[in-house]
Amino acid sequence: MKLGIVTGTVWATRKAKELEGCRLLVVQPVSSRRVATDTPLVAADPGGLAAPGDLVVYVTSTDATAAFPTGFAPVNASIVELVEGIV
Amino acid sequence: MIFARVIGTVVSTQKDPSLNGKKLLLCKEVDHAGNPLRSYHVAVDAVQAGEGSLVLLSYGSAARMTEETRNAPVDAVVMAIIDHVQIDKDVVVAKGGR
Repeated sequence: MKLGIVTGTVWATRKAKELEGCRLLVVQPVSSRRVATDTPLVAADPGGLAAPGDLVVYVTSTDATAAFPTGFAPVNASIVELVEGIV
Repeated sequence: MIFARVIGTVVSTQKDPSLNGKKLLLCKEVDHAGNPLRSYHVAVDAVQAGEGSLVLLSYGSAARMTEETRNAPVDAVVMAIIDHVQIDKDVVVAKGGR
């Protein structure tokens, strides 16, 4: 699980059936001090949690699929938590 | 998921039976602004993408997670056709651009 800031949205009308109703967001990986650490990636938001500007936790690889209620979706990264603060 | 541009179709008659009827696309990876990067991928088409389309491509085991590719020996799938990408209120790449 990694920290990232949502920087944008990917608009796609036609997508795989498994992704219907799920937003795709551009996420910039960041450190706990909100400093960019890597190149941006695209993550699914199956819970509809995040919007641009939000600090989020995302998961990658097989876990990204598990973030969907069906456990079956062609995604490499998913947003799983909206971060309210780091103490 | 990575951004890619469909640049061609891969035609093959002799292939694993589970790939029969599946369209294979040759895709060039691009960055989030649509600029071409170095790598190429051959991906199964799950969304009827045409040549020139800007698409999202999933790779690895996630590529098997569509109806089209369930249990098939694939490691890349085109799973969305991008209309546009909006970053910090700017539309950085739009359909049909470049």
